[in-house]
Amino acid sequence: MLSKPDSALIIVGHGSTLNPDSSAPTFDHAEEIVRRGIFGEVHCAFWKEEPSFRQVLHCVERNDVYVVPNFISEGYFTRTVIPRELGLDGPLTRFGARAVKYCEPVGSHGKMTDLLLHRARSVAPGVPPEQTTLFIVGHGTNLNDNSALAAKREVERIAALGLYADVQSSYMEEAPLISDWATLASQPNVVVVPFFIADGLHSYEDIPVLLGIASESPGAASAGQASIFAGNPYSLRGKTLFYASSIGTEPGFADVILDQVAAFDSTSR
Amino acid sequence: MNRELLKSFSNWLGDGPRIVGQVRISRAAESWELRHNDDSGELTTYDRWQDARALANLTEDGAFRPIKTIRDLRRGWRLLLASVEDVVRALDYFYPAMLGLWNADSRGELVVTDLRETLARQTGMYRVTQKITDPQAQQLCASHCSLCMKTMLWKIDPAQPITSLAPEKHQRASGDSLPLLCREACNFLIGHARTVVKKAEKEALDAASPQTSS
Repeated sequence: MLSKPDSALIIVGHGSTLNPDSSAPTFDHAEEIVRRGIFGEVHCAFWKEEPSFRQVLHCVERNDVYVVPNFISEGYFTRTVIPRELGLDGPLTRFGARAVKYCEPVGSHGKMTDLLLHRARSVAPGVPPEQTTLFIVGHGTNLNDNSALAAKREVERIAALGLYADVQSSYMEEAPLISDWATLASQPNVVVVPFFIADGLHSYEDIPVLLGIASESPGAASAGQASIFAGNPYSLRGKTLFYASSIGTEPGFADVILDQVAAFDSTSR
Repeated sequence: MNRELLKSFSNWLGDGPRIVGQVRISRAAESWELRHNDDSGELTTYDRWQDARALANLTEDGAFRPIKTIRDLRRGWRLLLASVEDVVRALDYFYPAMLGLWNADSRGELVVTDLRETLARQTGMYRVTQKITDPQAQQLCASHCSLCMKTMLWKIDPAQPITSLAPEKHQRASGDSLPLLCREACNFLIGHARTVVKKAEKEALDAASPQTSS
């Protein structure tokens, strides 16, 4: 088991100025890691909330510091914004006696496949996968963002297991569009798992509207309503639809964060 | 837990009471009690440091508080905690990074970054903020930073202080109150700077090509 009493962990997330749901999973995972007593210090930092990326290193005492991005994919934030704001110049940056170790984002970890399968099974208990189409939903068309590639990669991994009759990636803003789910799905049961780091406007409102299980989005101010998940299963367009919350709320993400720390150590030996 | 911070904070806290932002910290039998500084009488009791997150997240009216140092902490609660360590963890939710920056400042290790340096670093959609003029920046600080409880330590550039705010805004709190420090323009201000620049650019464009009316 990982034990790092002389090290600090910083989990970095995007955060939001509109609702607390964006940062909630990052704080949840941090609280779980604090509970396990693995690190001497555990901190969170955000782009849109505080502590900010620019504040957090001032709050750390230990000289051995791991930074794990709680992001779904490599992209603008993990490659440009986080290194710039923390002053990092590569996987290992030294500031005097301090070593800051920049780990891979959680979304690129191999365990993501198991977490997606777990989430899919949890939202549709007892529903036979051999009669189910599973959609992994990404955003698509984001600035320098590889989240669509990450969703495709997970679909390939899940499909290779042969558990589900049909596994597809789909997107909010690029083809194949999640709004076409009923024609894309070959099976009578449909499970939809948003491939996002947190619940929020996209999972509470945008995707439900595109699926047809909610009316037009009333806007960001009302985001924070998790009631959409209580309506499962939805019977519409001749299918039985199960809609899951974002994958980043899966408690197993705490283990993935720790795995990314261990992975950094094993690759830097 | 940052052990240096814990030690410094324990020394500062003593037997209380002390104030951090709008939170009052005092002794209550074997516990530490945190409550809104303006509260008294009947309050709902919580007893986990983790409860501070939900207490800090929303205003009285249920609106999200992305900037915790705005003076809009909800009232009506008391948080009873067993140790100073738990008090530090709770305060990290009420006032993120503020104890850490205070500790760094006390040790002479806090680095302050002036606005022009912050803007020069921006990329993507925020690169345009580099075009903000000095008077626009002064006005921006007057309209937004005045709402925040933090003490502003940075300037527009080394030669140009922020003159659009009351002098007290640049003076660290002392006595029973822990100073809340702003070491660099926050991303909320950078977002507003973008709005200012974009608006000015649009106005300049509109002025250069006025629509002709028939």
